[in-house]
Amino acid sequence: MLRKAPVGARGMAPGTASGAALPLTTDDMCPVCKTIRYLNKDMEFLINPECYHSMCSNCVNRLFNDGPNQCPYAGCNRTLRRKGFRSAFFGDLTVEREVDIRRRVAAVFNQAEDDFETLRDYNNYLQMVEDLTFDLVSGAEGKRPAAEAQLQQWEAEHKADIERNRKAGREADEQARRRLTAEREAARQRRIEAIKEAEDEKLERARSREAELDTLAQAPEGQRVQLKRRGQTNRAGGATASAVETTVNTAIAAADVGRLSIRGLKEKRKAPAPEGPYDPFGGSDFVPSRYKVGEGLAHPQVEKYRFDQQHITGGYSFDDYTARAMFEAFAGLGVFIEDEKEVGIGMSAGQVATIGAGIAAVGDRMELD
Amino acid sequence: MAVSPLVPYPSGALPSRPGTSPLKLQASANASLNGTPLLARPAGHEIQGLMSLDLVEQMNEEEKRKYVKGKKLGEGTYANVYLGHSRQDPAVLVAIKKIKVQKEYKDGLAPDAVRELKHLQELHHSNIISLLSVFSSKDQNLNLVLEYLPLGDLEMLIRDVDRVRYGAADIKAWMGMLTRAVWFCHDNYVLHRDIKPNNLLIAADGEVKLADFGLARGFADPGRKMTANVITRWYRPPELLFGARHYSGAVDVWSVGLVFAELIIRAPFLPGNSEVEQIALICRQIGTPTEENWPGVTQLKEYTVPSDTVAVWGKDAYMGRFGAVGAEGVDLLIKTLVLNPKKRITAREMLEHKWWRTDPKPTRKEELPRKSSGADEKMGSDLKRRPGMLDDETNPRGAKVARKLDFGAAK
Ligand SMILES: Nc1ncnc2c1ncn2[C@@H]1O[C@H](COP(=O)(O)OP(=O)(O)OP(=O)(O)O)[C@@H](O)[C@H]1O
Ligand SMILES: [Mg+2]
Ligand SMILES: [Zn+2]
Ligand SMILES: [Zn+2]
Repeated sequence: MLRKAPVGARGMAPGTASGAALPLTTDDMCPVCKTIRYLNKDMEFLINPECYHSMCSNCVNRLFNDGPNQCPYAGCNRTLRRKGFRSAFFGDLTVEREVDIRRRVAAVFNQAEDDFETLRDYNNYLQMVEDLTFDLVSGAEGKRPAAEAQLQQWEAEHKADIERNRKAGREADEQARRRLTAEREAARQRRIEAIKEAEDEKLERARSREAELDTLAQAPEGQRVQLKRRGQTNRAGGATASAVETTVNTAIAAADVGRLSIRGLKEKRKAPAPEGPYDPFGGSDFVPSRYKVGEGLAHPQVEKYRFDQQHITGGYSFDDYTARAMFEAFAGLGVFIEDEKEVGIGMSAGQVATIGAGIAAVGDRMELD
Repeated sequence: MAVSPLVPYPSGALPSRPGTSPLKLQASANASLNGTPLLARPAGHEIQGLMSLDLVEQMNEEEKRKYVKGKKLGEGTYANVYLGHSRQDPAVLVAIKKIKVQKEYKDGLAPDAVRELKHLQELHHSNIISLLSVFSSKDQNLNLVLEYLPLGDLEMLIRDVDRVRYGAADIKAWMGMLTRAVWFCHDNYVLHRDIKPNNLLIAADGEVKLADFGLARGFADPGRKMTANVITRWYRPPELLFGARHYSGAVDVWSVGLVFAELIIRAPFLPGNSEVEQIALICRQIGTPTEENWPGVTQLKEYTVPSDTVAVWGKDAYMGRFGAVGAEGVDLLIKTLVLNPKKRITAREMLEHKWWRTDPKPTRKEELPRKSSGADEKMGSDLKRRPGMLDDETNPRGAKVARKLDFGAAK
């Protein structure tokens, strides 16, 4: 199963006949010391762009720590230095080499579009660079040195330009980096403000509830009943028998609603009208779900904002509000849930577990149905 | 006062509305259809008070054990996202969003996580990412288990000008899915507040799903101030840029409009580098908000506009640049980008628009263009980028420039 990897057999320096036939990494064994990766899981392969012959890091240290030395591959006469070695970025060393060459070319031919009179000139330039790169990467015997010479000549002639472009590039890089950091910070800031928004809201809600309770306490007989009922629900948080009952009833009530909507989902999925007209609502029943509420139902607490300029200009929608209020009211359970929902700071691991199990249960049932 | 994020405790007991209603989590809790014993799995938090801590922990363990975490998929502002699979059936892939620990919230869980959890749990729709489970790991970190969406996001498709081609029918399909997602949120009284192409993930079958509910919130009561600092700048509507604290679903609709524009021109339409620049761009490209087109606007706290007032552009101006989606498409686009939020089209009205029913018909989701696959994907996008250029698409000639391989930026 282990392929024999004769040292040197596959390796050819980039200068030789076909630059494409470069050594391939033997994933499993170092061709120099024959250590098998299987026996040493952390074994790392390194290459040196002088010749792209790969070997394990142990070999590199052993052979090159004391100074420059010859490549251990048979027939390869390159002198290699320790600091030239790096781990290969690509599995395929042919690609690795091409990338290196391209990077070198790009550093020299670093003109930007703005440097050209017309788009056509720029495209011609890109074409020229691409041809030259091709010759360097996989050009025939004669072409490669010519391309190399061309590259060096251009580098010498355009030193100042290249340097200027490099600086500009670095500045742009730096700018982009700064912009990115700023974007990240802004995103973080938005999250923080959203948190603060929530905290303020909770505080205020607690305050207004207290105020409400005060008013109710001073209210005439009839309304005091409401206060009492609230008290009861609060106690239901404890472990009394009636609490269990309430809970179970609530759960069953909710389960009914839930089951209905699961069925509904199913049915829709069953009838995916293959070539009917496109339904922008995606199959959901198009029931106008907004309760149209007449003026009569106005609540003074709400009314006082209806003509508030800040609400109007900001686009605040009172229709949405009344629709939601009606929805919650008709749903019947709104008040009590509102009380119970705000259990406090964040959530405990227990609460998470409870939700997790709940979601899982719904998921299971959806599959069952 | 202690740290107390208000995000109300997610309650399964919130009743559903027939028709559009999300199904509620605890629905299934005790009511078992197939005769499994009741109470095997408590579900409402009400019950939690009655349970021993052991049981709670055991349940958490049970959820956690169901999934195996794999390689990292991505990183966001407040979470790392990992690939995972079901232990029972390794073919079932999931995304596990592990919320980063935030020092400030040692006691409770990170509020944005709770926010995301709360809303996702209540919104069940084919164009909204679904939450499959949630558990906390040993370091008290919250883990959201989400459906895995392997085909990247809309931003990747928009930006890959070289390899991804699409047309009006595809844009209509994507916009349909996005608009349905937003309509569904609003119909359930939830504002998303961070709509942008990279929060629109794509499922294996091509379905677009709205994700990242870390900034979402319920509609506010009258008189209750909301923060104006939401929505990524390029997609932020003028009312928020001007500091409005009482707003509506119209803020999301503006973002949807900008995603629409971006899908057409394949570059961000209003890429401001700062808030001031953002406002200036809106004024120049759409028109200057004035008392005439938006009564009261000059009274908003942060209202400032460039002095050279630009009249709101008419349809002709848009046809040139956005004509690819046809006259009806342009009409819809213009309606989403109305400066005055009161006059802006709503998500529901968007779905009632004529465009959906005019030719071409939206592409079927399975036939939509996909991101180019392969290992070179990451490299590919790096290569296209000139060093330092975040968006070379802003260059008007950009699309016509011959492909330039630039290895200086790779690695
Ligand atoms: N369900 C998923 N399937 C596949 N990949 C995902 C999924 N969810 C998130 N990701 C990947 O993880 C990245 C971060 O996720 P997400 O946007 O949800 O986090 P976030 O903290 O809210 O980020 P931000 O606010 O910075 O956009 C995404 O860009 C995406 O690449
Ligand atoms: Mg995101
Ligand atoms: Zn070796
Ligand atoms: Zn060698």
